[in-house]
Amino acid sequence: MIRSAFEWVDALPSSIALRESLNAYPTLLTIHVVSMCLFAGLIAFWDMRLVGLTLRKVPVSNIPTRLFPWALTGYGINLITGGLLLYSQPMRYFGNFYFWAKMALMVLAGINMFWFHYATYKSVQAWDQGREIPLNARLAGVVSLALWAAVVVTGRMMAYSGLMPQWWNNLNIGA
Amino acid sequence: MMQSFFEWMQGLPFSAWMLEETWASPIIQCAHLVALVAFAGAVLLVDMRLLGRGLIRTPLNQLAREADRWMIWSFVALFITGAPQVLSTALKQYYSPFFWWKMQIVLIGLVFTFTIRRRVVLAEEGTLGHWPKVVGFLSIGMWTGVSVYARLIGLLS
Repeated sequence: MIRSAFEWVDALPSSIALRESLNAYPTLLTIHVVSMCLFAGLIAFWDMRLVGLTLRKVPVSNIPTRLFPWALTGYGINLITGGLLLYSQPMRYFGNFYFWAKMALMVLAGINMFWFHYATYKSVQAWDQGREIPLNARLAGVVSLALWAAVVVTGRMMAYSGLMPQWWNNLNIGA
Repeated sequence: MMQSFFEWMQGLPFSAWMLEETWASPIIQCAHLVALVAFAGAVLLVDMRLLGRGLIRTPLNQLAREADRWMIWSFVALFITGAPQVLSTALKQYYSPFFWWKMQIVLIGLVFTFTIRRRVVLAEEGTLGHWPKVVGFLSIGMWTGVSVYARLIGLLS
């Protein structure tokens, strides 16, 4: 069913037009990388603040208020350009292990973010100014750093279709 | 002379190893991208602050001192992971205009960051008029240009 959806998109005239455009792919990919820097760069500093690696004099609650609107702008542009890249070559990505790994990692990063927001961040007033961050918050920071780094890595690896795990190739998904 | 230097780099045993070893280039490129994210975050924290955005309640010089450590170390990581890529594809880089534009902006960006930008971020706030905004804007523009040209080397060369 997922394959049919990808094949359906692949045959759409707008998808074909985007795929055949000389400038669309380089333009979208470049904007994708730059917006990733905005989003992931700021989120990395938020995560490192939670872990206690940097910005220890900045109250924790300052960062979501002051930086998240920018990080989310970057994420929005990233999602749009990523979506258009997928829309332009769905069958290229359908059989790509790193594409699905990236999607799964993004879902996990989202779950980690929501879990942190609804479970740990509620008590932020108690540890906002202090240097001692609760273990749960530090853990969420480490997990987030690892997951977003893995998203960046799998995103780059999508270009290496010849380097997919053997077990994935054996599934013949892209055939 | 420059062409001979790039031909020499391309002919090094290390360059051949980089091209022959299946995982060498992907691993180095992934590390380069992760370092780029860290570098971008460190630069943006301060540049946004210069533009009156982001962490405005934190003193600028305090924020800059904190972010500069990350900026310098991530730049070192960018250099360490970037150099092998230039070595292994030296002639491709040599014939790409984007490579030369990138390197020119990197050089200007480094000089700018460690002279004018450093002076502005460490100066007493409110004494420099509109200059902090100009510096923040130029810094974001330059490093964005570097990222764009870096991406275009691979895509359009």
